[in-house]
Amino acid sequence: MPEIRLDGLVKRYGNVQVLHGIDLAMHDNEFTALVGPSGCGKSTTLRMIAGLEGVSEGEIYIDDRPVSQLDPKDRGLAMVFQDYALYPHMDVARNISFALRLQKRPKAEIDAKVREVAEIVGLTDFLSRKPGALSGGQRQRVAMARALAKDSDIFLMDEPLSNLDAKLRGQMRAELAIMRQRVQKNMIYVTHDQIEAMTLADRIVVMHGGYIQQQGSPAELFKSPANKFVAGFLGSPPMNFLSSTLAMEGDTLFAKGQGFNIAIPAEKAKSLGRTDGAVTLGIRPSDLNHDPNAPDETALDLQVQVSEYIGAQSVLICACGSANVTVELKSETPIALNETLRFAVRPEAIHLFDDKTELAL
Amino acid sequence: MQERANPAFYALLVALIFMAVGPIFLMFINSFKLDVDIIGGTTGLIFLPTIQNYETALCDLLWYEPDHLDFCSLKFGGAFINSLIIALISTALTLVIGCMAAYALVRFNFMGRDTVSFTTLMVRMVPPAVLLVPVFGLWNNNFCIREDGFAGMFLPESFFGRGGESCLAGTHGGIILIYVAMNLPFVIWILQSFIVQVPRSLEEAARVDGAGPFQVFFLVVLPLIKPGLAAAAIFTFRIAWNEYLLASALSDRDTRTVPILIVNNMSEFNVEWGVIMATGMLLAIPPIIFTLFASRQIITGMTAGAVKG
Repeated sequence: MPEIRLDGLVKRYGNVQVLHGIDLAMHDNEFTALVGPSGCGKSTTLRMIAGLEGVSEGEIYIDDRPVSQLDPKDRGLAMVFQDYALYPHMDVARNISFALRLQKRPKAEIDAKVREVAEIVGLTDFLSRKPGALSGGQRQRVAMARALAKDSDIFLMDEPLSNLDAKLRGQMRAELAIMRQRVQKNMIYVTHDQIEAMTLADRIVVMHGGYIQQQGSPAELFKSPANKFVAGFLGSPPMNFLSSTLAMEGDTLFAKGQGFNIAIPAEKAKSLGRTDGAVTLGIRPSDLNHDPNAPDETALDLQVQVSEYIGAQSVLICACGSANVTVELKSETPIALNETLRFAVRPEAIHLFDDKTELAL
Repeated sequence: MQERANPAFYALLVALIFMAVGPIFLMFINSFKLDVDIIGGTTGLIFLPTIQNYETALCDLLWYEPDHLDFCSLKFGGAFINSLIIALISTALTLVIGCMAAYALVRFNFMGRDTVSFTTLMVRMVPPAVLLVPVFGLWNNNFCIREDGFAGMFLPESFFGRGGESCLAGTHGGIILIYVAMNLPFVIWILQSFIVQVPRSLEEAARVDGAGPFQVFFLVVLPLIKPGLAAAAIFTFRIAWNEYLLASALSDRDTRTVPILIVNNMSEFNVEWGVIMATGMLLAIPPIIFTLFASRQIITGMTAGAVKG
């Protein structure tokens, strides 16, 4: 259960720099999720920790021991690959025991370990099958079991669920959460799916363009995103952004834009440190409630463009001036396309971002 | 409605089958005939079968002395063993060197990789006849151990023949070496395409699991390119088994292979057709057995289930 520390990690491919000085510390038994869009450098970071990619600059410490020059096998970690990477010529049991057999452990110990991890991932009945005769979900479990069998304290996962279909992914995500409680390891999990990151991780590290944008607990990141990117990346449906201008009217600060003029709560207004200029107003769909009687200064009037029925809830894509705003609505509410509805904004849920720097205000 | 096949199609098919199987059938029949019957023009199937030709061919292996022979001039057994030694060892060497070279060419980044990859195949384009003269010269004059030289001090006197030197020419090693050189380019080329198909993440997984470079190669890559190895083995064995030109120049009477022996059986005065047919039949057996054995390893879809397509 070591502590992993990345110190100014830089990766270059020729002249192209893909990671710009990553500083990160991952603590005992922590489940860290590296999350970001494709090409943000999250997989590269993980592969550098694993030792599959060289380090251009900076250092990786595992329990204060620099490891960036070590072979993957000397770093004491296990990894689950995005495409499973099962050895097709070995059956499930031999796949799981591959690392143990390389360590020349006694046969009885290997057998016991294989049975133990096979039980954790629910593969006991499939031990003599070849990977080719397994379904996608089962292959995923074999990959997981193989990494678990290794008994290493660090467990790396590179988008382990991204190759599964949506239903299986949800199921495996839940199983992973259960496994997480049983297995005390330092886990690093790379994903582009913010739901996986939110549900599984103790700590989320949001990456974009080779930089860390923000790190913290899922709740922290959701409630107070550091910048517009993090705000837009986490949460589903994503946060709505509306360009607006700040203006004082009497004692109250208003964010004024096309078709709305929303009052900023006094506390928030105080902490802003400015009373004019262009800002981006960010409101999550879940913070907009249908309320025909809401007062003007806390309401948005939205014209329904598209209604996506997804069961109990419908997701409405509406026009607010020239911008699009996504809201959620109980499906029973009768609505017609092009109808204009009034939504109340929860004042404490208003996010403001600087137009230029995109940092949260 | 099923389309009726053109009768000409069947005629063509029969002609092709006849062309392929006919010679073998003829050889098989004639190997059981006496020379008199073969040359006498009695081409029919009615004749008295005899194993006399096989007795002549295998006279140095038989436990009894055939009645019709007073002297066993044909050393088929020895040549057969020479052929086996040369073909098997050169095949094994070619595969071992070939798979490692192919792996390096596919997976390692080094200067001039593409040039190496390309020129290996170019070497294959050189006809063996072109190699014959220089190789003959080198094997006879340059690759020799002299009795009074440095290495000669460590070897027994019996090692050296006439003239106080022992050359590569006329040894099994000399022929094996040239066969390996000749077959290697093609084997490297064919195995490259198999190694490319092994997903890189499998090797990475093995490395994380604690395998060193050689363990990755032998435990993960090699089992997956078994079909390629089998195909290359069949190819290499067949060439080494059949090769005539280089073997005829580089072997001596102790190391000659079966194809040389068969041709030597033809003299200006007498062509022993029956014996030639019989040795031909015997010559065909090992490659057939080898191919049957090796082709079992050619299973498609070896990497099925390794990674999500």
